[in-house]
Amino acid sequence: MNWNHIVIAPVFPFWVILVLFLLGLALTVVQYWSIQKRLGHPKAILISLLRLITLSLLVSFSVNPSLMVRKEEKIIPALAILVDHSQSMSLSGQGGKNTRLDEAKALLLEGEKPLLKALRERFEVKLYAMGDSLQAIGESELSGLKAIGKRGDLNDALEKLGPANSLFLLLSDGNVDWKGSERKAPPLIGVPMGDPKGYRDLSIKEIKVPPIAFRGRPVQIDVVIKSHGYSGITVPVILKNGDKILTAKSISIRRSPGEEVTSFSWTPEEVGSLPLSVSIPPQFGESLTLNNDANVTLKVYRDKIRILMVSGSPSLNYRYMRSAFKNDPTIDLLSFVILRTPTNIINVPLQEQSLIPFPVETLFMNELKNFDLVIFDDFFCRPYLNLNHLESVKEFIRGGGGFAVIGGPNFFGQGGYDGTPLGEILPARFAGNEGYRRDRPSGVKLSRLGTTHPITRFSFDGKGHQNLWQEMPLLDGINLLEPKSSGTVLLETTDGMPRPILVVGNYGKGRVLILGTDYSWKWYMGMLAQGKGNWAYLRLMERMVRWLTRDPSLDPVQITMPAKRGEVGQEMGVHIRVKENPSSASKKMVSFSVFNPEGTKVVSQIRATAQPGEFLGSFLPEKGGIYKVKVETAEGHLEEFLAVAGAVEGLDGVPNHEHLRTIAEATGGEVLSSGKDVLREAESYSGRNKEHFVEERHLPLWSAPYLLPLILALLGMEWYLRRKGGMI
Amino acid sequence: MEFPNPPALPFSKGGGRGDLSKDPMTNNTDGKSNISRRRFFSLSLGLAAGVFIPSFKSPLSASENQVAPAYPQFFFAQIKYQGGEWDPNPQFLDSLMEELELRTSIRGVKERRVITLSDPDLFFCPLLYMAGKDEFDPFTPKEREILARFLTYGGFLLADDTMGAKGFGFDRSFRREMSQIFPDQEMKRLPPDHSVYRSFYLIETLGGRQKVNPYLEGITLDQWTPVIYSQNDLSGAWARDRFGKWIHPCVPGGEAQRASAFKAGINIVVYSLASDYKKDLVHHPFIKRRLNL
Repeated sequence: MNWNHIVIAPVFPFWVILVLFLLGLALTVVQYWSIQKRLGHPKAILISLLRLITLSLLVSFSVNPSLMVRKEEKIIPALAILVDHSQSMSLSGQGGKNTRLDEAKALLLEGEKPLLKALRERFEVKLYAMGDSLQAIGESELSGLKAIGKRGDLNDALEKLGPANSLFLLLSDGNVDWKGSERKAPPLIGVPMGDPKGYRDLSIKEIKVPPIAFRGRPVQIDVVIKSHGYSGITVPVILKNGDKILTAKSISIRRSPGEEVTSFSWTPEEVGSLPLSVSIPPQFGESLTLNNDANVTLKVYRDKIRILMVSGSPSLNYRYMRSAFKNDPTIDLLSFVILRTPTNIINVPLQEQSLIPFPVETLFMNELKNFDLVIFDDFFCRPYLNLNHLESVKEFIRGGGGFAVIGGPNFFGQGGYDGTPLGEILPARFAGNEGYRRDRPSGVKLSRLGTTHPITRFSFDGKGHQNLWQEMPLLDGINLLEPKSSGTVLLETTDGMPRPILVVGNYGKGRVLILGTDYSWKWYMGMLAQGKGNWAYLRLMERMVRWLTRDPSLDPVQITMPAKRGEVGQEMGVHIRVKENPSSASKKMVSFSVFNPEGTKVVSQIRATAQPGEFLGSFLPEKGGIYKVKVETAEGHLEEFLAVAGAVEGLDGVPNHEHLRTIAEATGGEVLSSGKDVLREAESYSGRNKEHFVEERHLPLWSAPYLLPLILALLGMEWYLRRKGGMI
Repeated sequence: MEFPNPPALPFSKGGGRGDLSKDPMTNNTDGKSNISRRRFFSLSLGLAAGVFIPSFKSPLSASENQVAPAYPQFFFAQIKYQGGEWDPNPQFLDSLMEELELRTSIRGVKERRVITLSDPDLFFCPLLYMAGKDEFDPFTPKEREILARFLTYGGFLLADDTMGAKGFGFDRSFRREMSQIFPDQEMKRLPPDHSVYRSFYLIETLGGRQKVNPYLEGITLDQWTPVIYSQNDLSGAWARDRFGKWIHPCVPGGEAQRASAFKAGINIVVYSLASDYKKDLVHHPFIKRRLNL
């Protein structure tokens, strides 16, 4: 027995134990003096000694002595093999025949004696696939592993696996995320895949666009292009809106590897969510061409609604509409009033006239694109506009412009627009030969659809709203119209057979409207006369303009896109708000559809939120590109675009062996250059870090089975000697 | 609203224009048919396509050059007030409306509606006309409130002092009422670049039966001048008897002064319907060039 292996753990303080021992000693001495006269010195000594031993043993139990037994054992080192299967591992490896992932698989599984098998003989091997996430895989799953997803997070992997492993083996092209680590991790041996020298690529690394843009104002789009393996060449960079090329420019690639930044200045001419893309044509010998395109959406707002109004003559209708538009800071009005007709005679020289030429050719053939809305106010167009001008207006509407015809006697002149290109697209036609009636005033009321249409519904109080229109002053003159099947009547007369007064419709991407009276101004002054203010007229004019120009403020549906750009495989959430009568909006009444870049409908969900009229739509993009989101309700629909970054969009696929070396050295490992024996290097590292453990056991001495018989034997012997001496 | 019988016209509608054979603008005394002259001008203008009317050539149809039939869009509503003489020139209307129809695209009616300030139809009048010579009774508070509401929210008032005595008679009463209705606004001389001087003709001086002021005065609210005031007796210059003779001579400028009064009348009517349209930027270069500015 090695006394060094005996340890004590007193249950009492030492001084208590010492006191107990001294007490025992004192008792023994007293006993000795008391029995020596009767038994003689030798026997008294023996009995006292036996008593002292017994007491000492008992007192020694309080010292809690135990025997420490240590046992040292060696263990088999644990090796974690990390196989990078992110997207860049799908690119060509050494020699360009196989992918980098194939190279990794071949290294582990192929050959006379596969590396994985050899490693298993010396290590406790576990395989992990490292990509979007870290997954433990079996040997059978390794061969079917595919290179997809984002680059793996090595920090996360080492943190999770570090405590259970003594060595890491990473098979990667170096395109992994690594932020350094302060924690001590087992050494990592990097096995580089791919060939940096043979890799050639041009990629769109980033497109920088402002969060919002305004129509008609230049917007700057910065594009960062990364090059590897190309220098001294000039390549075109193309900016597109959907399929339409907006602009292109050539940039010089000056160095490799390197980054070039180029800027596009472009003026958006349409509002809404625009699907923009930037692309570089594939270059000869390029290793990866899928990252030559990148998508982004740009939200374009209009700063002002631009209106071109042509009035057939100065009139109260013109003046009150002009006043309404001029007082709206969001409207930019350009108006032309026909101050004299061909039959009027001017009696003064030019210098005394304020009349200006009506620039029809400029306005209607060149400048229409600069307007959002064209209004013909009691304007008999035939003397002024020819077929080409009217066709141009028609095209303007088809392309998304708004067009309103305000009625009056001139509107009807010579059959109005019947037989002209505009006649085809207006939502109503003249009911008969008589186009304008001024013999008896007419009241107006909301039609069934008018009670829900955004132009005429000022509030959700249906009855009060209908009453408002019935309180409006009578119209002294109306155009006698009948709606076409394409038209929606919003206001109609109250006398006899209802005649449409306000009719709306759609043509192409644009919207059209007819207000069949030149006395709508009475809704302004008449309500003022009643002391009810002019708000109803002003609101009607404002809503007419905003509806015709598809102003988002009047959209019954509003969509809020996620602030972050979408990514493949990550669920995208779209917030939907139904403005019109949200109390009645239910999930069933709101349709949510999502179309992928090929135009195919994808699976999507919609659920109501706690807020009335608010919903959350979601879908899972499976590929990159521009997705179309469409929300439909009973009141209308809205479409928006959403950019989802492709799996390889912005991918920098160049093998980054230097990055791999940095990681390995930071962990105390190394990157194996080609030709080095992975197995030997792994063994070398495991040898340096031989691991063992020591088993330490404590055996309490007082609980030893022989102690109790020993004490009993001592007491028994003492008892025997006493008895023999005649003391019992 | 009253509809007094208009004075019987000496001619038919076409002939009615004949009374302007003594064209106040040109002082033309040629008594030949104005219709044929009008047509001649019309055709000439049509042929001179591009000066004011861009093109009359249209592929639409053969009859397209005809204009729409005329329907009334404009009328004078004259305020009948208490005290003084509210209607000093009852025969001013026809000649002005004929001139308006001859020169402009405005379809007016020769219909003078007489209205009181308490009439609810006041708010539907495109132009309120108020004339007088003498002092008149103060408006009632109700009348002032109605007029203030009408003018503040878009209405228009043309006031015509036919006596032209500054600080006396109609002028005194009218300024008193305006200061009551617009206590924070002052009746000011309208600047030469005001839209009313440029709404149809480019006017540099103001005519009338007399020439008290070579300018108009007015009350302007923001960009709109709802009250325009003349002391030159414009209606006196426009007034014509049933035989087509001018009732009053224009002094001291004679017929040129009358022509100027008609120009002012047309400009005022156009301004009442088109507001400050001529202030739009698109007009600036043309007007500046013509005024040699």
